[in-house]
Amino acid sequence: MDNKINRRIAIRNMALILGSAAILPSCLNDKGKPTVQLKHLKLNADQETLVTELTETILPKTATPGAKDLGLHLFVFKMIDDCYDKEHQDDFIAGLDDFESAVKKQHGQPFSKCSVKDRTAFVSGIEQHSNDKNYKDNAKLTAFYRMVKEQTVFGYTTSKYFMTKQIVYELVPGRYNAYYPVKKLAAV
Amino acid sequence: MANLNIDSVKDRTFDAIVIGSGMSGGWAAKEFTDKGLKTLVLERGRDVKHIKDYPTTNLYPWEFPHHGVLPDDVQKANPIVNRCYAFGEDAAHFFVKDAEHPYVQEKPFDWIRGYQTGGKSLLWARQTQRWSDFDFEGPARDGFAVDWPIRYKDIAPWYSYVEKFAGISGNRDGIPELPDGEFLPAFPLNAVETYFSNHVKKTYKNRHVISARCAHLSKPNQIHLDQGRAQCQERTLCQRGCPFGGYFSANSSTIPWALKSGHCTLRPHSVVESIIYDEKKGKAAGVRVIDANTKEAIEYYADVIFVNAAALNSNLILLNSTSNRFPNGLGNDSGTLGKYVAFHNYSAHINAEYDGAKEWTTDGRNPAGGGYIPRFRNVYKQETDFLRGYACGFSAYRWQQNSSEGIGQTLKDNLVKKDLSGWHVGSHMMGETIPKETNYVTLDKSLKDPWGIPQLRISVDYDDNDEKMKKDYVEQMTEMFTSAGFTNIQASTDHRAPGLDIHEMGGVRMGNDPKTSMLDKWHRLHACKNVYVTDGASMTSTSCQNPSLTYMAFTARAVDHAVSEMKKGNV
Ligand SMILES: Cc1cc2nc3c(=O)[nH]c(=O)nc-3n(C[C@H](O)[C@H](O)[C@H](O)COP(=O)(O)OP(=O)(O)OC[C@H]3O[C@@H](n4cnc5c(N)ncnc54)[C@H](O)[C@@H]3O)c2cc1C
Ligand code: SF4
Repeated sequence: MDNKINRRIAIRNMALILGSAAILPSCLNDKGKPTVQLKHLKLNADQETLVTELTETILPKTATPGAKDLGLHLFVFKMIDDCYDKEHQDDFIAGLDDFESAVKKQHGQPFSKCSVKDRTAFVSGIEQHSNDKNYKDNAKLTAFYRMVKEQTVFGYTTSKYFMTKQIVYELVPGRYNAYYPVKKLAAV
Repeated sequence: MANLNIDSVKDRTFDAIVIGSGMSGGWAAKEFTDKGLKTLVLERGRDVKHIKDYPTTNLYPWEFPHHGVLPDDVQKANPIVNRCYAFGEDAAHFFVKDAEHPYVQEKPFDWIRGYQTGGKSLLWARQTQRWSDFDFEGPARDGFAVDWPIRYKDIAPWYSYVEKFAGISGNRDGIPELPDGEFLPAFPLNAVETYFSNHVKKTYKNRHVISARCAHLSKPNQIHLDQGRAQCQERTLCQRGCPFGGYFSANSSTIPWALKSGHCTLRPHSVVESIIYDEKKGKAAGVRVIDANTKEAIEYYADVIFVNAAALNSNLILLNSTSNRFPNGLGNDSGTLGKYVAFHNYSAHINAEYDGAKEWTTDGRNPAGGGYIPRFRNVYKQETDFLRGYACGFSAYRWQQNSSEGIGQTLKDNLVKKDLSGWHVGSHMMGETIPKETNYVTLDKSLKDPWGIPQLRISVDYDDNDEKMKKDYVEQMTEMFTSAGFTNIQASTDHRAPGLDIHEMGGVRMGNDPKTSMLDKWHRLHACKNVYVTDGASMTSTSCQNPSLTYMAFTARAVDHAVSEMKKGNV
């Protein structure tokens, strides 16, 4: 009984609180000028497009939304711009340029002009190296890739879409079961 | 204070003044106003009202600009407070930023502070254990510090008194070195925590692993509902401020209670600069405040003054309260003011894995955080080459692990795949440190803070005793983990600066002898009987229990004494 009343008081209390919206930079346009408002990173439009397409290659639209649908490219820019120090941001830019050069060498055109298949093949190659501790070639390129991937994944797994549709995150669980059978977990 | 007319003085005169509105000051405010005294609560920071001023409390992870991560410039600008585990995007607004409130580190000291209504009570981890006579008798027995002027029996009723109002969950464990209290139901231990608890009970004499006791309303009583608080909903987002009032904070409990009485005036943005000593009357007349916004100096007067600015700030205020009678700080006839500062030592951890109990996991979240191992070293007799002992946290957990391997659909599939990890167990030490004269705070001779008040110089360090104790923690826990069949045991120690435990204490210690202590057994300055100090500054020694519950009990007891003295006309 107590429990119900308490919840009601609590919900009434909660209604007093104002919600707050996510603060993300507004959408990109594709006129050639950089469109995201960044404080530290200096990106030109091509670099911006590359990173955007890279996030989409990492998490493409399939039957479920992709990076661009979820605005993850904007999240990646924001995180690298706000939460990384100058040294890592410099590595990010250097690695980004290395990435573009490597794409051009292999495919004769920029990443954003490559076919989805070529992009995927190229990124898969890096993905393999990026997990290989002994792989020393072009460390900046790999570091750049890791930063983009890490923030894409972080943004994705903490996105509203993922946390409501793919898993269920509860702000208010209202329970602590100290002994919970693993069997029951599998049943959900 | 020129040109102030009589009415203005009257407006600025109260029965009681409380300096600080945090964990302990909130209790002083509640107790004074319950007893009908006209009370002024002075708070240097801004006002934070329960629920209304918890801007992040209901945000989902994706609603934070950086999904919880603090921007690099904020981290870089705040190297000290950034070391605190709770300083994240969700609670940063309740912590003091390094640059705003400067102090001098004669030796490295991480001074973690919350300057607002509620102080650090908004941010705390809510662990609450009583002290026992093993703690109060420690100095007399072991020969460090001075004898406490009180014993467990003096404070036990006051523990009960504050526990009932605050709401403490726990089990009655019947352990002499960790007395039972007035408990709401405990948050239970999980499968591996219970396994370890049973193992330790079987294997060791006088060692216990119990459910952590904590200031959460696991099942509220009427008195908690009367405060407008509700049952804890196991969110474990407490450091944001809890919209349910599920955990005890001054903001959800004591301060609104005091305000409701109609006897309380809460004045935020009021930095107390010093206490005014009236030489003719031989007692304190009031306090001098700098308005944080206008920088204007204002005086307030009262019959009795409670100093609850948190340990080191209470030292600062007394050190800065000089007069002909007290050239070295208010009440400082002993010369001990600012000295014998001590803290807790949290600098060792241990982690391991456990292969059993595979059929169990947990569901929901445990606000208590898991288990607690009360001090077991040197309790009944001195058995090691170091003084005193340590308590330990203990918890076991499993998680849904996913992999971020691959790209494209493979990655998407990997991220939703939820393999349950095996059990992991972890512990950290909570060691007692020995108060020493060489661990002190003082006022800087030239550096001032933005309000023109001298900056505090902190000179506090570890010693050999801490090193030996730390080594013993690692050895004992490694042995206990090994015998329990835990594997992949990884112990680690770090070299954090003192202070990061956020349990700094002392400097205005209690004692029977005015020659070697500042406060009598009622927390009253030996030499200025209408000034009481009841926060961590008053602690003669530190024990290894989390301290806040004891500050609360001390405060309630001291107010009771102050009011009875006032009634007798002694103040
Ligand atoms: C992350 C974290 C975890 C913690 N976990 C635990 C725990 O599990 N268990 C436990 O027991 N303790 C814990 N603590 C410690 C606990 O918060 C403190 O012991 C407690 O808040 C101290 O109470 P206090 O009243 O002395 O100080 P505070 O609660 O800090 O209140 C002091 C108030 O005085 C005000 N003030 C300071 N100077 C002046 C001045 N000159 N004029 C006017 N006002 C002034 C401050 O602004 C503040 O509001 C934790 C703290 C933190 C930050
Ligand atoms: S765990 Fe309890 S006290 Fe903490 S935020 Fe959740 S409901 Fe509030």
